Amino acid sequence: MDRRTFLKIIGTGVAGATTGDLLTAGKSSAGERISGKEFYGILVDTTRCIGCRRCEKACAEVNGLPNPDISEGTNETVFQSLRQTTDKQYTVTNKYDTEKGTIFVPKRCMHCNQPGCTVACPTKAMKKRPTGHVTWDSNCIGCRLCMVSCPFDVPKFEYGKAMPNIQKCNLCWDRFKQGVLPACVEVCPTQALMAGTRRQILDDGKRRISMNPDKYVDHIFGEYEVGGTSHLYLSAVPFEQIGFRKDLGTKPYPEYSSFYFKTVPLVATLTPLFMLAVSAAIKMGKESQKQKHEEKHEEKGKH
Amino acid sequence: MSRKLLFLFISVLYLILIASGLTLVYSVGNPEPVQKPVSAAHDNKIRIAHTEIFGKLQRPQVVFDHKKHEEAYKKEGCSTCHPVDSKNKLIFNFPKTIKGKGKKAVMKAFHDECIECHKKSGAENKKTGPVTCNNCHKKEFAMLKKPIPQAEFDFYDHNKHVKIMKEKFGKDDCGQCHHTYDVKDQKLYSKKGTEESCSSCHDLDKKRGPELAAITKVAASKGLSVRKISHQQCLNCHLECKDSYMNVGSQDVHKIHNEKIACNSCHIADDYRQAVSCTECHIPTDCSKCHTGKYRTTAELNNVARPDRGQRAISLIDIENSSMREVPFNHQSHEKSVKSCRTCHHETLKSCKACHSLTGKPEGKGINVANAYHRMLAEQSCTGCHNKMKAQKECAGCHYYISAMDVGTMNPKKNNCSSCHAGKQIAMPKPLSYAGNNIKEEVEIKVLQKEFEPSKFPHRDVLNKLVKVSNDSKLATYFHRDIQTLCNGCHHQSNTSAELQMPRCGNCHMVDYDKQNLNKTSLLSAYHRQCQGCHEKMDISKGRKCSECHEANKKGPSAITQIKNRNVVRQNTTSMLNVWHPK
Amino acid sequence: MAGEKLETVAVEQKKEERPQISSIGDFWSYFKNELRPKGNLSTAFNLISGIVIIFGVILLLFRFAMGIGRPVTNLSQSFPWGLWIGFYVMSGSAFAGGGYVLAFIVYILGVNKYRPVLRAAILNAFLFYVFCSVVIVITFGRWWNIPNVFIGNEFGASSVLFVVIWLFFLYILTSALEFSPAVAEWLGKIKMRKTVGSLALGAVAFGITLSILHQTGLGALMTMAKGKIHPLWYTEMLPFMFFISSIYAGVSMVIFEGTISSKVFTYQIDEENRQSRDDILIGLARICGAVIFTYFSLNLILAKFEGDFALINSSMGYWWLIEMIGFVAIPGLMFIHGAQKRNTLTIQAAAIIAIAGILLNRYNSVFLAYNWSLPFSEKYYPSAIEYLVCLAIVFVQIWVFRWVVNRMFVMRKSPQWASTLDKD
Repeated sequence: MDRRTFLKIIGTGVAGATTGDLLTAGKSSAGERISGKEFYGILVDTTRCIGCRRCEKACAEVNGLPNPDISEGTNETVFQSLRQTTDKQYTVTNKYDTEKGTIFVPKRCMHCNQPGCTVACPTKAMKKRPTGHVTWDSNCIGCRLCMVSCPFDVPKFEYGKAMPNIQKCNLCWDRFKQGVLPACVEVCPTQALMAGTRRQILDDGKRRISMNPDKYVDHIFGEYEVGGTSHLYLSAVPFEQIGFRKDLGTKPYPEYSSFYFKTVPLVATLTPLFMLAVSAAIKMGKESQKQKHEEKHEEKGKH
Repeated sequence: MSRKLLFLFISVLYLILIASGLTLVYSVGNPEPVQKPVSAAHDNKIRIAHTEIFGKLQRPQVVFDHKKHEEAYKKEGCSTCHPVDSKNKLIFNFPKTIKGKGKKAVMKAFHDECIECHKKSGAENKKTGPVTCNNCHKKEFAMLKKPIPQAEFDFYDHNKHVKIMKEKFGKDDCGQCHHTYDVKDQKLYSKKGTEESCSSCHDLDKKRGPELAAITKVAASKGLSVRKISHQQCLNCHLECKDSYMNVGSQDVHKIHNEKIACNSCHIADDYRQAVSCTECHIPTDCSKCHTGKYRTTAELNNVARPDRGQRAISLIDIENSSMREVPFNHQSHEKSVKSCRTCHHETLKSCKACHSLTGKPEGKGINVANAYHRMLAEQSCTGCHNKMKAQKECAGCHYYISAMDVGTMNPKKNNCSSCHAGKQIAMPKPLSYAGNNIKEEVEIKVLQKEFEPSKFPHRDVLNKLVKVSNDSKLATYFHRDIQTLCNGCHHQSNTSAELQMPRCGNCHMVDYDKQNLNKTSLLSAYHRQCQGCHEKMDISKGRKCSECHEANKKGPSAITQIKNRNVVRQNTTSMLNVWHPK
Repeated sequence: MAGEKLETVAVEQKKEERPQISSIGDFWSYFKNELRPKGNLSTAFNLISGIVIIFGVILLLFRFAMGIGRPVTNLSQSFPWGLWIGFYVMSGSAFAGGGYVLAFIVYILGVNKYRPVLRAAILNAFLFYVFCSVVIVITFGRWWNIPNVFIGNEFGASSVLFVVIWLFFLYILTSALEFSPAVAEWLGKIKMRKTVGSLALGAVAFGITLSILHQTGLGALMTMAKGKIHPLWYTEMLPFMFFISSIYAGVSMVIFEGTISSKVFTYQIDEENRQSRDDILIGLARICGAVIFTYFSLNLILAKFEGDFALINSSMGYWWLIEMIGFVAIPGLMFIHGAQKRNTLTIQAAAIIAIAGILLNRYNSVFLAYNWSLPFSEKYYPSAIEYLVCLAIVFVQIWVFRWVVNRMFVMRKSPQWASTLDKD
């Protein structure tokens, strides 16, 4: 290979490497940037929740899941241990005993602004809709990378089935398309759940905090955590006391793997060229050594 | 052979490593129970840990039996271990001297004074304490916590001291205990009529105004915290005076105490010739006698005389050039509702306007008099204290949900300004009664009936209870001038001048969600937040379960969402669809 | 091994006859002939592995009928990935790294000393990836949708797993291409052999690229599990760490597999080859030692940089020390020591320990140091069925490997007619 061809190849490679970044989709784009629409979300005011669990029942009704028993006797047993969402329950309520009394916290998918699950899904079965709903579709391959990538451990897999689905709250996407409120919001007897655009509910949350500084901790969980979520929480006590993690950070989870994506086109274009260049260089070196060797022999032979 | 053996040995070793590693991994979630600190009674044993100097301790903390040492050195006195100052008063520091600074110096000082003394007594063949590490730094002491409850010197104690000083020692001089400090001349002096609380100058944690800050700076430089000076001032006096009781003969003792206390209060041993020291009750020098952990309530202190500083029973608060009427402030009755003057007189015992002027002074940190009297979250302001009282469970049912009165809030109902700004006239309002008003006995709420039967609300009973609660409280009676204020607890937007009758909840709260204003309270949540909220804040045990207010409807639908009414709801929500255009 | 008789192979070698295949019919009859087992079927190994494989197939039927929950696997909502992904997808790909490392050394760097082990390494890489893909189909819950990744129905191009699956696929094709000279020789097709031989360098370059990308990709898969993997194992440089460890994992696997093959297929190795084996081993050990040293120091630097040293004084910290010192540092030292003293036994032992270390490292990321703070009752340990299925697949891979090695020129030197083509 001569110098000109070598330079040509290197030039193409560098050009490819630098433009490759544009071609690779490294993160999911926030709906706000693409379509000018706003995210839809729910404000959860834990000072209002009374632990009646009607949200669990309504959710089960509209999604065709087994109806949980929310009659009064069950409250003694159900709240004895902390529950997680399951493949049959998209939302659960947990009870916490704190310095400000008993606090009930409904737990469900946070519908993050930049969800780890949607970026992780290799077939875009987990999608973040432009309106903020994070929904699951049936072109899923069941790889469960969404479960690994969720900082809140939300997606649940139907392990016992031969044709398993991933189950999680989808903010009542089907009802939303018909212009109806999410089922849990509709039935909450104390309006602990308030639905609206993320901007509206964030404003309302801040208003509640400023009007009642002694009733709330001055922090809305989900405002900035993991890049912001659409399920926002208000609390009367520090959030660690009601089961929220303190160490989530404000970096959206997709950015943890963006480092990899930025290097993919670079590596893909440069490495073969590098390999070929090295191989050619070594061959050239060997040949020149051979030549030198032969020349030496010739000289020796002459004398 | 050796190669195979080596191979076997290495593979077994690695298998053991893996097995132990996996045990570690799988046992992580179940940690061994962490040794929790164990609280024990104080019983005059002092815990020496000084973690503020030593950080994390290498050896267990030492639990020091002060009483034992006290008994042992009764004759020699406290100065055996504790240094004395120039006036021969004890300074309750230990160790006596610390040469140098830092952990090592402190440790050495402790060891030098404790162990050396033990060694000396041992050499004199007396019963002595340990000299080896593990006998003082005992393992069982490691997790002991000996919380010392804070000693409280309340009005009762102050009164007792004033009486005893006068009657017993003929001293009528407040300067026995109270003094103040002249920063210029750098000396203590006492002037009658200017006595303050010890904490005013000796509470080193509090940030003070410019006048007091100069004094606290000096106190801080000498290390004179409240803890230090209370022991120095109180204990020294007690130690000096306790002998005064020793000269009382046993006949006089019995005469004084005759029929007032039981014999076995003093004669606790079987031998009736023995009796406990007078200091068990009088002029105590034991830690636990002051640090009792029991505190008197405001109610118990109601009849105790307050310290006399020449305060007036009723003081007319009149600010020069102010736009508001004077406030006839009943100082005497407010004195009875607090445990310490410092609750309101948070800096010194001067009047509020001494530091807070109409426009604000540097002495008052720039806070003007309006804010000083009305600041909602500060306990020392009028409204702040009243807000705190409103948080009690008898009041919180309504008042938790009513925005607190504050200078800044645009509260439309500011008609209670005149309750305080009454001018020179005070009229104590009468107790409330609703006689003459047509109050419904029971209200049936059935507008939302679906999965539950209608709820029967005992309207009159509730009002009765509220009236009783209000009439039982002086503060409530003063501000609830009118029965309408109680009605407003639930009918919170009621305005009688514009109404034909008291509004129902459903008059303002919509059954369905207000789609234009999703944060507006719907009727369902209005009922539940108002009713349940009141029950929760007033700590009423009834009304927490659904069936206690409304029975389940056995015939009604079991579904709770309106899936069937899709079309109806759609008509009401076109505005939402216009905003979002979902796919 | 008693799968073949010594004389038969030696006779075949002496014959050096090219099979004459000129049509599909010819190929089919040749292939059928080759499918017939050569040698004793009823050896101990055959019996045991045969039973396990049959069991494995039956259990797989269970898995497809009952889904992947209990009792088939012990996976749970807190532990979505378990032994199958940990062993085959994560570790298996690391072990297949021998293919690209050796291809780099022989083709790119031109160190012909290692040529005798090259083909076996490439074959191993190919087989590991093929069976990796088989395990992916087994372990993914909705496996019938896997073609979605290739045909569209929404490309999840922002997903690491999408890239990884595509790369797996491309790498299987590439390593097949790299191995195809051996297939050509087996079929005796000169033209095919010439064509694929000339493509070798390009395929190798491409294969190395793909390998680097998917080794880092496997690491990138776990980067989004930030809060759940113990900080001592988690780092944002996880892709890079997986890549480096795959280098020495692959070479260790080459050493390990080479040790076993040279004993089992010993009659296939000629004298020249046998003498050079020791040199090869020592050279590979040096490489391993150097890479392990780099990997170990990188781990320490990253742990210090991310402030994880304080965590060492805990249960998981001790486990990390066991893995780092016992299963990374010590084999590294053994490799270097063995290379210096020319002690092949040390090197072979070090390879085994290094392989165990890689397994532990991958298991840690997937289910041991993942969600590590849960109590024991909620923790995951592989079920018996998972172990059996893994073992069955390993045995199938060994059987395929054995079949190929007994028929194609992997351990044996290429036939005369083929090696002349290479000289050009």
